Amino acid sequence: MTAATLDPHEHQLTPAGGKGVVRRLLLGPGFIRAGWMFCLFGAIGFGLVVGFRWWGGWHPLFDMTPITLVSLLVAGPLGFLAGIGAFDYWTRYAIGSPTRPEDHSGHGARSWRDYFRVNTDHKVIGVQYLVTTIFFFIAGGFLAMLVRVQLARPGSHFFDPQTYNGLFSVHASLMIFLFVIPAFAGLANFVVPLMLGAPDMAFPRLNALSFWLLPIAGIMMLSSFVVPGGAFACGWTGYAPLCSSHQPLGAIFFNQGVQWAGASSIMTALNFLVTIITMRAPGLTFWRMPLLVWANFTTSLLVVIATPFIAGSQFFSMFDHVMHTAFFDPNNGGYPLGYQHIFWFYSHPAVYIMMLPGFGIMSEVISVFSRKPIFGYRLMALSLMAIVVLGFSVWAHHMFTSGMSSWLRVPMMVTTLLIAVPTGIKIFSWLATIWEGKLHFNTPMLFALGFLSMFVIGGLSGVMLGAVPIDIHVTDTYFIVAHLHYVLFGGSVFTIFAGIYYWFPKMTGRMYDERLGKLHFWLTFVGFNLTFFPMHLLGTEGMPRRVADYAPKFADLNMFISLASFGLGASVLVFLYNMITSWKNGPIAPANPWRALTLEWQVSSPPPIFNFDEIPQVVGSPYEYGVPGAQHAILAPSPSHEVEEVATP
Amino acid sequence: MRRGSIASLLGIGIVSGGIAAAVALAIPWLPVSASKEAGRIDFVFWFVVTICIVIFAVVAAAILYSVVVFRAAPDDLSDGPPIHGHTGLEIAWTIVPTILVTAIGIVSAIVLSQDDAVAKNAMNVNVTAQQFTWTFSYPEAHGLTSATLMLPRGRETVLHMQSRDVIHAFFVPEFRENQDIVPGLTTTLNVTPTRDGTYPVICNELCGLGHSTMRSAAVVMEPAAFDKWIKSQTKAVTSPSAATAGAAVFKNNGCAACHTLNAAQATGKVGPDLDKLPAYAQQAKQPLASFVRTSITDPNAYIQPGYPKNVMPQTFGKAIPKQQLDALVTYLINSSK
Repeated sequence: MTAATLDPHEHQLTPAGGKGVVRRLLLGPGFIRAGWMFCLFGAIGFGLVVGFRWWGGWHPLFDMTPITLVSLLVAGPLGFLAGIGAFDYWTRYAIGSPTRPEDHSGHGARSWRDYFRVNTDHKVIGVQYLVTTIFFFIAGGFLAMLVRVQLARPGSHFFDPQTYNGLFSVHASLMIFLFVIPAFAGLANFVVPLMLGAPDMAFPRLNALSFWLLPIAGIMMLSSFVVPGGAFACGWTGYAPLCSSHQPLGAIFFNQGVQWAGASSIMTALNFLVTIITMRAPGLTFWRMPLLVWANFTTSLLVVIATPFIAGSQFFSMFDHVMHTAFFDPNNGGYPLGYQHIFWFYSHPAVYIMMLPGFGIMSEVISVFSRKPIFGYRLMALSLMAIVVLGFSVWAHHMFTSGMSSWLRVPMMVTTLLIAVPTGIKIFSWLATIWEGKLHFNTPMLFALGFLSMFVIGGLSGVMLGAVPIDIHVTDTYFIVAHLHYVLFGGSVFTIFAGIYYWFPKMTGRMYDERLGKLHFWLTFVGFNLTFFPMHLLGTEGMPRRVADYAPKFADLNMFISLASFGLGASVLVFLYNMITSWKNGPIAPANPWRALTLEWQVSSPPPIFNFDEIPQVVGSPYEYGVPGAQHAILAPSPSHEVEEVATP
Repeated sequence: MRRGSIASLLGIGIVSGGIAAAVALAIPWLPVSASKEAGRIDFVFWFVVTICIVIFAVVAAAILYSVVVFRAAPDDLSDGPPIHGHTGLEIAWTIVPTILVTAIGIVSAIVLSQDDAVAKNAMNVNVTAQQFTWTFSYPEAHGLTSATLMLPRGRETVLHMQSRDVIHAFFVPEFRENQDIVPGLTTTLNVTPTRDGTYPVICNELCGLGHSTMRSAAVVMEPAAFDKWIKSQTKAVTSPSAATAGAAVFKNNGCAACHTLNAAQATGKVGPDLDKLPAYAQQAKQPLASFVRTSITDPNAYIQPGYPKNVMPQTFGKAIPKQQLDALVTYLINSSK
């Protein structure tokens, strides 16, 4: 909780009487208004569809597909956002009514309730993001456990095919769109403005809006299980024409869920770009920025350029489903491979969207816990840029066997293999950073080293897949499942855990339990390897992915994997217990428990409401460990936080 | 760096590389190789794995050595040496991986062009994929169709693959080959079988609810046995006896996968029981012969209660030549009486 004390602006909504209270509850921004506005907007959407169909004389009048789309998946959520208060300021501005002077009442959190409203404080939004994404992480993990229940034995029938295919589809969608991508956005939301010496993000209201889009996307994807016909069951890749014309209603819950999550992603990325370019403290040149800031800068470039492509692919797919257009219907001139090209033009860069912020976290954690400057700082930053550029030229390596133009395979293979070079530079530079350091094995460092070793395995299996002949054998088998989990779990998730433990004291003002943290690491590390390493073998031997049943010769390995995966699932409970109890009762954290140099550790834990009493002056590199007398920034001594709280009338 | 530390670093590197190599060698990672293409692909596989093991050993050695040697005591508040970089090292770990991946790229491109080259005497097989069955037909044997892929050993075969509905993929692990089958396109795959045996044909692209049941088999046999099979099958389907021809058509089109028919020893349970055809025709209030024919060519015209619509492919009318269709209808009528 940020700045729990010293607030002269207690909520000024003084209830005058009973009538005022009711009026405020119904009309003031919050969940009650969100509820009725959701219903109102949904009803308007319903009326629009039915009205137009009646006007045009179309039958049937009540067609569930367009009604669900317009009313439940578009208009309703907009009503929810309006009701919760995400548009209040802009609406007042747009209709010309006097905008309220900013009294910062929507800033900071004084009680847990403040986390459940539209809050413009980047620190509150960061925590909102993280708690929400961890919720969807647990939901997605639970779905994965159910997948493993089905796969524990060949020929089992725990789930019918529709439900089973829905389980792995929703699992992947939640993990990608509602956990890995936004969890990084959450961490960066909290940390980046602090690292820049800025009081907040460039566009705080946009920041709040981009958070509130997320729960909409997540609930949409999860709720597709209860839709008549079942959840979308065509994998998270949603290949056409299977997903665009052979799926129940649930498919459009995926199409639209991706739109809401994607919009959130784009808004956040724009916000980061503007913040990083324009709001750096004096003296904080690009070559003095912490690598976490570099990582989020490059990630945001990827998001802004690539995400519109997946939005396009999902719109086309949904149009085929709902309006019977023929973008991907070969019987009417459509081109199914077109979907894959557009989809992967986003979704390969998306792999880097899910990796680069983790690289940033690694650089911070490894440097601090090795007590050494990051090795080859400039090359580290440049290799991030190299990954961004190369990342846009490799998408078709997901399509080596898709039937696309065969000449495209060799150039895409070459760029794919070359992207291993900047990635390798980063790994070797981290190794050189820990070399001869003074290593302290706190939980963040354990996860960082776990990442380093696991990501190397994922990267090397990626090089194998980059070689077309190998890919021709193992594509779409469990080898892919193993590879992507080594990259996204051994890579991204390990760095997310490292980041959460590392900044936990700064976010909550309390220390987590180190022993439980280490226990969590070892359970995760062992469980992860036992679960995913044997999948390489399943894949090379020829077990396809996305199947509900398999040949009996794979039975023993699958049983082993299922048991290991339940252990891996249980390890999350240790993490949750540690987080919840430490947030409530952990020992009070000092301002800088890790003796780090970056700016966020130079202010109190949690930071004051506007971060810095006075904008700091940056004078050097953020990684000068071991350099006598070196300083990253000069901060004004902070007498009290009341000073900057003077509200503009 | 002291000499002792170099020695122990090397030692750890050799041990971790050795463990990785043991894992690579002790476990049978790849199924038997049953095609010429598989041999080349396996070469690329082990070439890349060797490079990967070396890199893994280097990284593992550096991490393990650092964890043991550079561990700081909890009360040690000192910093490490302020090393900011080393241009030579940084150039080295840019150049060396570039060379390695270039080598992988060249080897892969060569193997790819070898596997893509089509021999002059190649045999053609048309593959039709649909939810959730495979049909293989032999244009050089007057369009003979088969539910399993029969292949002569040693002769290059080009598969011309089409899908009737969604994207499927042809995958035989023993051939090491995968190729998607995309509606609206004809994709091709070259296979030169080298080893007799029966191997699974797997649909390897999620194609709907029955995806995990979309399996067939590839049977590789002596060229002489293959010619014999072609002759006997051609003779069977063109046989003047409707019983012989119909039975062959029934088998070759994979009807047994979904239907029960005692005469053909078929026990499929997905679709209606064909031994009860006369009863169904009565329920549909149609004459038996035209009912059977329509049910094959337009399966949605009448749906027997208790069975779902749109499961049976609607394309058999086009796929099965008229003469064979006549034989099949006669065979079904006679068998179900």
